[in-house]
Amino acid sequence: MQTMENKWEMLEQTSESREKIWSRNRTFAADVWFRLCRKPTAVAGLLMILLFMLFALVGPFLTSYSYSDQSLEMVNIPPVMKVYDVGSCRVYITPSLKLIRVDENGSLTGMLPVVRYEHEKSMTIFDCDGKEVALYYGRSVYVVCDEATGNIYPAGHIWNHDHLLGTDALGRDILARLMYGTRVSLMVAFVSVLVNLVIGILYGGISGFLGGMVDAVMMRIVDIISTIPLTLYVILIMMVFGQGLQSIIIALGLVYWVDMARVVRGQVLSLKQQEFVLAARTIGSSSRTILLQHLIPNAMGSILVTATMLIPSAIFMEAFLGYLGIGLRPPLASLGTMCNDANANLRTSPHELLIPALVICLIMFAFNFLGDGMRDALDPKLKK
Amino acid sequence: MAKYFAKRVGMMILSMLAICLITFSLMHAVPGGPFTSDRKVAEEVEAALNEKYGLDKPLPVQFLSYMKGLLHGDFGPSYKYTGKTVNEFIENGFPVSGRLGFITIVFVLLASIPMGILAAVRNGKWQDMLIMAAATIGVTIPSFVIASILVYFFSYRLGWMPSYGLDSWKGYILPVVTLGGYSVSYLARLTRSSLLEVMGQDYIRTARAKGLSEFKIITRHALRNALLPVITVLGPTVANLLTGSFVVENIFAIPGLGKYFVNSVSQRDYTTIMGVTIFYAAFLMAMVLVVDVFYCLIDPRIQYE
Repeated sequence: MQTMENKWEMLEQTSESREKIWSRNRTFAADVWFRLCRKPTAVAGLLMILLFMLFALVGPFLTSYSYSDQSLEMVNIPPVMKVYDVGSCRVYITPSLKLIRVDENGSLTGMLPVVRYEHEKSMTIFDCDGKEVALYYGRSVYVVCDEATGNIYPAGHIWNHDHLLGTDALGRDILARLMYGTRVSLMVAFVSVLVNLVIGILYGGISGFLGGMVDAVMMRIVDIISTIPLTLYVILIMMVFGQGLQSIIIALGLVYWVDMARVVRGQVLSLKQQEFVLAARTIGSSSRTILLQHLIPNAMGSILVTATMLIPSAIFMEAFLGYLGIGLRPPLASLGTMCNDANANLRTSPHELLIPALVICLIMFAFNFLGDGMRDALDPKLKK
Repeated sequence: MAKYFAKRVGMMILSMLAICLITFSLMHAVPGGPFTSDRKVAEEVEAALNEKYGLDKPLPVQFLSYMKGLLHGDFGPSYKYTGKTVNEFIENGFPVSGRLGFITIVFVLLASIPMGILAAVRNGKWQDMLIMAAATIGVTIPSFVIASILVYFFSYRLGWMPSYGLDSWKGYILPVVTLGGYSVSYLARLTRSSLLEVMGQDYIRTARAKGLSEFKIITRHALRNALLPVITVLGPTVANLLTGSFVVENIFAIPGLGKYFVNSVSQRDYTTIMGVTIFYAAFLMAMVLVVDVFYCLIDPRIQYE
């Protein structure tokens, strides 16, 4: 009961406590994080990116297939198979007109041996545990039937248990390749953006900081480079360095830093007029210290926004190169090369294209959403 | 203004020189000469070939003679197809690409601007949401994905349109949609945001106060100013369409310039790569300049220093 009495007791009021800011002081990073969290799309994008990274990094340890394991028996098998119940066993018709035995779980247990070919009837006869079944390929929808009566066996759909996302034209597991391809695509994006960041910050920083003649010349060079169609140059640089991961990163790094340099220069130009730079100069800081310790950290907001926006274009460019067939060397996989490989069998096995295409789209969405959110969070002044 | 454009043209010439120089040095940095192949060629043959194409001379001399050819509009012979010149490739390929590009631009303008206007007029309603969702998807999905999905559904599944070639008008539909998809989405978003901005201005309120109909306000007053940013990005849009044509012409087997370019890249046909790159670059820069001149003419507020 004592607490009840004390509840309304006046606290001692001093001028010090009146002046004190009671709410916690938020750092810049915490402030940005708070604003970012208030945008559902940005949070969704961030979560998706984290999930894809997990998928790409941890995933390969959870699957028993590697991205390069080929199995020429299990070619172009979709994730959801149409299986025919022959009685003694279930069979699946591959796009290359062979029969594969499937058990109840959806595991593929092996090819059925061919007994003979009946070309007049458009049938191939297979041996299924001593029973003869016919694969009729006379019409566009191939069916498994009884040779004598022509009765079609009952069919149903079953999920592919061995290869959750099916296999590609060389019998490689698509899930394993997808994990590997996502890793390659994300890595290309991050590393090439890092290269851009370094070149762009140094170039733009020096240009903006020194000003005058140096700035004029450096910016004319940037102007000239920015008129060049960059896609063409990425392709040309790829040819000089040959196919491969390093070449893609070098090509993207060498070409896309122009925007970054412009952004950094603009920031440095306006920041270097401020008093804190003068103060730093007064206490005898070297130009290098002023540029790297004072100016660049203050410009970090816009730099980060530009970098986040660069990532989707790097992913797109890598996929584009892969799609044109000048990206990675097989059997290495990236999302773009997977789409390219799938094009040959698009008619019969659309899953080979749709799955990596979906992943590309999701990654692009995620980065675009996150980039938008980052822009609003880092630079509230820019908000429309 | 004339001074500004003189400066621009001067920059363009400088850029062209830089492009030629970069392309030339990149091509000569490629390991292996144009006549290195898997088959063993006798040394004399290789030497004779090198001499015929002037590859035995020092690099600066080669560059100068190449530039001299360029100034006369001669892109040199193709290294891979004997007897063919790069000019022939460009003459054969460019009209095809150009026609496709022109139709695409018309399609882009006809589709994106009305979509943007509708979204802006119905700001916040379901039409706006739908158009903006579609535009976001269109901006994010790479063109080759769009192309493959369209081919799968419309050519293979439904059989409505051919999956390759430009033999009939139907053949144009899928390539044009693929090529223009990104630009339609981008321009629709741009039109919407710029129209919304203009609609908030005072002179629109004045027009409303005069009692003009909403239709008239938009078509007569708002759109004129709202379309200016759209015109600004038309130059880069042309660039997008041209580079997009690499993918589209490959998927739909269209014998345009993009297909020649990609083929020559995979066959390492150096002169063709150089020639087409330089041609593309010159065309793009000219387009951007033309758009800028046009922009300056229609917007008297712009003052070029």
